[in-house]
Amino acid sequence: MDFQLLFSSIQVLLGLIFLMVVVNLYLVFRLKEIDPFAKWNPSLLNGGGFFAFYIIGMVAATVSTIYYYPELTLIVNPASEHGVEIDRMFNNTMIVTILVVVVTNFVLFYYSFRYRTKPGRKALYYPHNNRLEVIWTVVPAIVLTVLVFDGVGVWHDIMSDPPEDAIQIEVNGKQFSWTYRYAGADQEFGESNVTFINEGKGNELGINLDDKRGYDDLVTRELHLPVGVPVNLNIRTRDVLHSATLAHFRVKMDAVSGITTNFHFVPTITTREWRERTGDPEFNFQMSCQQICGGGHWNMGAKVVVETMEEYQDWLSSQQTFLATYQGTNPDFKPDQNMASESEEGTEKIADAGL
Amino acid sequence: MAEATITHGGSTFHDEHHAHEHHEHHGNFWTNYVFSTDHKVIAKQFMITGIIMAIIGIGMSTLFRLQLAFPDTKFAILEFFLGKWAPGGTLDPSFYLALVTMHGTFMVFFVLTAGLSGTFSNFLIPLQIGSRDMASGFMNMLSYWFFFVSSVIMVASLFISTGPASSGWTIYPPLSALPQAVSGSGLGMTMWLVSMTLFIASSLMGGINYITTVLNLRTKGMTMDRLPLTIWAFFLTAIIGVLSFPVLFAAALLLMFDRLLGTSFYLSDIFIQGEVLHYSGGSPILFQHLFWFLGHPEVYIVLLPALGISSEIISVNSRKPIFGYKAMIGSMIGIALLSFIVWAHHMFLSGMNPFLGTVFMLFTLVIAVPSAIKAFNYITTLWKGNIRFTPAMLFAIGLVSFFITGGITGIFLGNAALDIPLHDTYFVTAHFHLVMGSASAFGFFAGIYQWFPKFFGRMMSARLGYIHFWFTFISLYCVFFPMHFIGLGGVARHYYSNTGFAFMEGWTDVQIFITYAAIIGFVGQLFFLYNFFVSIFRGKVASLNPWDSNTLEWTTPLHPGHGNWVGEIPTVHRWPYDYSKPGVKEDFLPQHIPAEEVEYEEGFPRPATTPSKAPTTPLKVEDVGMEAAEGKE
Repeated sequence: MDFQLLFSSIQVLLGLIFLMVVVNLYLVFRLKEIDPFAKWNPSLLNGGGFFAFYIIGMVAATVSTIYYYPELTLIVNPASEHGVEIDRMFNNTMIVTILVVVVTNFVLFYYSFRYRTKPGRKALYYPHNNRLEVIWTVVPAIVLTVLVFDGVGVWHDIMSDPPEDAIQIEVNGKQFSWTYRYAGADQEFGESNVTFINEGKGNELGINLDDKRGYDDLVTRELHLPVGVPVNLNIRTRDVLHSATLAHFRVKMDAVSGITTNFHFVPTITTREWRERTGDPEFNFQMSCQQICGGGHWNMGAKVVVETMEEYQDWLSSQQTFLATYQGTNPDFKPDQNMASESEEGTEKIADAGL
Repeated sequence: MAEATITHGGSTFHDEHHAHEHHEHHGNFWTNYVFSTDHKVIAKQFMITGIIMAIIGIGMSTLFRLQLAFPDTKFAILEFFLGKWAPGGTLDPSFYLALVTMHGTFMVFFVLTAGLSGTFSNFLIPLQIGSRDMASGFMNMLSYWFFFVSSVIMVASLFISTGPASSGWTIYPPLSALPQAVSGSGLGMTMWLVSMTLFIASSLMGGINYITTVLNLRTKGMTMDRLPLTIWAFFLTAIIGVLSFPVLFAAALLLMFDRLLGTSFYLSDIFIQGEVLHYSGGSPILFQHLFWFLGHPEVYIVLLPALGISSEIISVNSRKPIFGYKAMIGSMIGIALLSFIVWAHHMFLSGMNPFLGTVFMLFTLVIAVPSAIKAFNYITTLWKGNIRFTPAMLFAIGLVSFFITGGITGIFLGNAALDIPLHDTYFVTAHFHLVMGSASAFGFFAGIYQWFPKFFGRMMSARLGYIHFWFTFISLYCVFFPMHFIGLGGVARHYYSNTGFAFMEGWTDVQIFITYAAIIGFVGQLFFLYNFFVSIFRGKVASLNPWDSNTLEWTTPLHPGHGNWVGEIPTVHRWPYDYSKPGVKEDFLPQHIPAEEVEYEEGFPRPATTPSKAPTTPLKVEDVGMEAAEGKE
């Protein structure tokens, strides 16, 4: 057990409490004759304090921003096409807001210092000035209008319907892991529903065994994406809310029980290229969960691999189909006996009956 | 002393009453101090309860900050406070969520809603509008006791064996509906919902009272455009609360049904812990809409009173009229209206139709305009002022700084496209802790320092106030500003530890810095607690109007009894912000001084007064009532 830190922090705490008790005792008994602060001017102290706080704070904020900027995953080095747009907008907004924060805080703290009370000073009676007020209504309104229109455009592009040739991948959340499903050779997902889940028997996604479109589906623990091609994530959950997040790709969408949500994007850099660029041979993209989902929320991750189309195809063909894995755990299962649903209509009926 | 100037019997009685120690009462202890219908006593009850809830709420944050900074270290202090939830000193991941949830619930609802509005709306509305009490003193008392029971239930839920609610203060189902998902969703969640139901009832009774009182019980001459900005803020806050809290009640009730009766309002297609649940056809997104229909206005329920308090304090202590009084009212009304049509900006990525995102983004960014007006008006009020740095003034200026720095990041988060990376990261935590948490807490502190002489007839120590301010101001910036970096680094909120993901791991050093700052800030609050409780009994006796303020509360006796004014309620002759008016002898001109009694500087021509003292605006309900009463006599 590492109690060293605890001891040191308790010592610090005790020290502070002791200091405070001394200060308080001194204040209670009002030892004015030895009071070193008696001649301190609270007006100068606090007014000057504000101004000093501004200067020191600005220096600290600037230095730390420069120091940390390269590590800000969410606003540098986007790994997707729409990420570039988001980062551009972020930087524009950043310029505007930094300007506002720096100037308004300066004026606030400088005025506090400059107009601190002094003997003989009288305040200016200045209840309103319509022209000024119009200026600071109209100027923010214009700036915000520009930002809004930019934002609406980008948002609309990101949230538009996925392109028809997008690769469809199903993302399934559960407490506390992600499972992915690829459509397989037939490019179609088999029917699935929570009522078909049979965890002990190798059907954790609830794929309908009567729907043969599901037999060639690939169920995986890793998310593999081909670079430069639109992919559409179909996001689902079988229990509570989750949020499928790919920080590097500026992708995030809640998984909501009862419905399928989606997010489409184009990855622009492979894992290998990223590793070369950052010089980190261990690096992997990761999917995290960012909607509070229970005790394992903080650790609900999955490895994400972006690769070239050939590598992606090789990886797909190396995966076992759902039928193969299912038969691995259920040797008695004979797909031929389960051909009740030749037509899609039949599938839906079965699915409804299951509900 | 100041009391000597008041010779009326009733006032003398009360002064004596307080001069004695509290064990000497006249057989009316229960009605005077416990089940009192006096708004001032109720305000103190809200204040003390709020402070206790704040100590618990902030204490919890200090505990989980230890976990965040030192994920691999064992802390005996955690085991001491949390027992089986931190075996051997290592915090349990589920209980981390419980701590976060209860921290949020305590701070948002019990401290910054009930504690702030309950204290200052109750205390200041009757005193500043010139009324003897609330419209319904009895309902006001009920409001406190509902709040009290609600607090007791919420605190009690900390001690049950399955743990308190742990699905975030937003209690999104299905997590909050299913005890199988997290143990806090068992009895803990039921208690949360029961507690919040009582809380909503309390808040509604309070709100209806505030609205009625402001509309109907203003003294003669106190027209709506002569109200102090504090009252405008409390009034609008109450309206927002009355319109939005019932929706949370509906949301909570339906969630109760889902949990206890097996309905499917929010639940559908769920497989958990090896079994398929029967729920079908519900939508978790419905809950989010209902919740945020309260939840967003709630932000302004928390913030507006603080802004009202700071308007008053900045004007008084700058010795200047508040700049743009009407613009301030207008922007508060604008914020109040807009607050009802921006709720879904919390839900851009919830799976709702993206088109809705566009609409809500438009309204959300519009709300920045009235906010900007307020910030600029505060600053202009300081310009060429004669600023007195009382502790209240320090906190009010600090509030404006937090309001600017924290509010500005709302422009990022309100933009749906930028919200994609930022949603549910520490960037959000930084944003709302600065603009809602810190700013409102500073409003609370500022209000206590400013009106302490009226609450208790004594002064707080200014020096301890300064020490408290600088501790708090610096530590809050040190806690919440670096959170922007962590958030932009990709670290998610609600994470027990950022060691689960390689790209989040590097931020542990910043987490450590934040934790140290948080502990120092927490220790700094001891100065306040000491100052507060000791000054109640031992502070210097206050003068009648210690801040040379214009508003009516300072015309009451030092220890106003039930009914506030001895004899007649003062009549109001002007707006509350005539500070440093040219020609006037003093640098303040109280609202109740008639124009002919104003003392002018030598050689300054006395302005022509209007012959009639009556209010110039059209007749109002209370004027009619008064005239009728006079007619009868």
